[in-house]
Amino acid sequence: MIPLFSSIAFHAYALGAALYLICLVRPKEALAWLARGAIAVGLLLHGAALCSQFAGQGGAPLGMAQGFSTVGFLLLVIFLFVDLRYRLPALGAFLSPLALGVLFPGLLLAGGSQVLPDAVRRPLLPIHIAIALLGIAALAVAAGVAGIYLLMEREVKGKKFGLLFARLPSLQVLDDLNRRLVLAGFLALSITLLTGVFFTGTQMFWHWGSREIATLAAWALFGGLLNARIFAGWQGRRVALLTVAGFCVVMVSFFSSYDLTRLGGLR
Amino acid sequence: MELLCIGLSHKTAPLELRERLALTPAQQAEILDAVACGPQEALVVSTCNRVELYVAAPSLDEAAAQVRAALSGIGGPEAASHLYEHRGEAALVHLFRVSASLDSMVVGEPQILGQMKDAFELARAAGGARGELSRACAAAFGSAKRVRSETAIGRSSVSMASAAVSLATKIFGGLAGKAVLLVGAGEMAELAGRHLASAGASRIVVSNRTHSRAEELAAGIGGVARPFEALHEELVHADVVVCSTASPTPLFTKDSVAAVLKPRRHRPLFMVDLAVPRDIAPEVNSLDGVYAYDVDDIDKVIAEGSAARSAEASKAEVIIAEEVARYARARSVREGVPVLAQLRQRAEQIARAEVAKTLGALGEALTDKQRKSVEAMAQAIVNKLLHEPTARLRAVPQDGVNRLAGAAAELFGLEAGEAVSPPALDARLPKTGTQT
Repeated sequence: MIPLFSSIAFHAYALGAALYLICLVRPKEALAWLARGAIAVGLLLHGAALCSQFAGQGGAPLGMAQGFSTVGFLLLVIFLFVDLRYRLPALGAFLSPLALGVLFPGLLLAGGSQVLPDAVRRPLLPIHIAIALLGIAALAVAAGVAGIYLLMEREVKGKKFGLLFARLPSLQVLDDLNRRLVLAGFLALSITLLTGVFFTGTQMFWHWGSREIATLAAWALFGGLLNARIFAGWQGRRVALLTVAGFCVVMVSFFSSYDLTRLGGLR
Repeated sequence: MELLCIGLSHKTAPLELRERLALTPAQQAEILDAVACGPQEALVVSTCNRVELYVAAPSLDEAAAQVRAALSGIGGPEAASHLYEHRGEAALVHLFRVSASLDSMVVGEPQILGQMKDAFELARAAGGARGELSRACAAAFGSAKRVRSETAIGRSSVSMASAAVSLATKIFGGLAGKAVLLVGAGEMAELAGRHLASAGASRIVVSNRTHSRAEELAAGIGGVARPFEALHEELVHADVVVCSTASPTPLFTKDSVAAVLKPRRHRPLFMVDLAVPRDIAPEVNSLDGVYAYDVDDIDKVIAEGSAARSAEASKAEVIIAEEVARYARARSVREGVPVLAQLRQRAEQIARAEVAKTLGALGEALTDKQRKSVEAMAQAIVNKLLHEPTARLRAVPQDGVNRLAGAAAELFGLEAGEAVSPPALDARLPKTGTQT
């Protein structure tokens, strides 16, 4: 059941992404709604598959395959929310293929059911992981939006007035969206760190591994970015560039949370 | 007299070159003086998007060389490769199209007719536009008015100002709550101000070298006037800046704008430069968060949405074609009539001379009645011979070009002179005092 649901969901996402891309070239309200519908159907099936998977393993996604799958799922949830709230189908042409890119490795990695080792089984762990993945997804969308901002900024600055110039949302809208998403991502990152520290305070051993350093670095970077925004009025291009850079650091943290030599296992 | 037009416009020359060739009134007068000598007539048109010389001259090659030398002298040697040249009817069509705003960067924009009239007044005052040119201008202005009233080209025109508004939307999302700074208080500033205000701009500040003019405009569009000296302080508060001054040097340089970025707290700044020469140095665009657009950039935006206007524009083209044909026809009549008069004069001269010679040779052998008969015969031969050519020269062919007049002049060795009588066309002249 789970593989079937996941497979249908992936195809629905692919259909949605294709519709969003067509919509970018020939904007039609009906097309945008079809695309949203396809993504929503995918999310329902994908969500059901993920839930039944987590139910059998202590309520948390385990292993890199499920990690990818969950991040892709959350990314599309956030995107669909943004699209429904602000009506920005042009973003879908970029963000839904990005989500497919995240989901694809999840499909390739065999992600069979696993059982959480007793040593780390404690009530907070699922929350810790869920919020961490939510933060990663929010920052992924933020980085995507930042990338779109950079594309649009290049058009406006270079006075190119091509297809992107005509279709993409205004710089201000993209910058606002970036601010909200980075703020959400930063909060999620903070909670992840706090709950992480809680584990180290109890039984699990905190050590300065690449995961901890990368997460702290990303947290500091986004914290600094938000401060610069609020107190120095930073915005626009440099913020977009820093968002993309920060997301790269987050990705390091994500990968190092999984033991790359033993794919599929929690370190 | 043939018509010649040499010049360059936004269609053929880059902004840098147009800046160099933006002629001051003194330079225009100088060129008029140099070109409008002898039988030649001249008209200099200099706007932000075009510099053109119209010349009516007996010999176009000579005049063309003169005009090219004058323009290259100001614009530098590279100007030569950007010049276009129209002769005869093509020059006439160009004059009509320019006046009717069909050749404008923003097709249908209303300023060009006023600018053409100003140019004509200047030429007339300097004695540059007298016969042919002044009639051509009058007809061109008349047809421009017809285009305005019979097509929707002016009403649907996407002006520079509205193009600026749509660009601002791409940066700010909307203009609600944005502050606008208008630098310069001319027609362009007013247009831009009105457009930006109706798009929702909350605060409009006008700054002009002549402060009273700024106050006038500010009162008209519901803004506030600020002294020109406070320009850079105002830049701190503005989101959109529209420049349209006649300043020969940039008012905003990269350094002067960079200095306000921090006090502005890095808010995006959209600067539109509608002036030629430019008021904003091109390097300003390289500053982070500053988007500086000049007239050529705005032109590219306008080109994006020009399809909607093409229907009205083609209607206008039809009107222009009609008007040009009508003018050419009237001119043919004017030119045909003197040829006819000269031809008849010449024939009668010959007849009289021959009669005198014949009568002289016959001496007193003829009675008065016989003398009269000889004279009458000579006159009759002239009349009979000239009857058909007269009828044909008077009839103006459908296409409006009286080729026979020139042919007759050529054939009989006559000089096609200027019309003596005012043509009926002048009755339709606009009120700008273009009567010659």
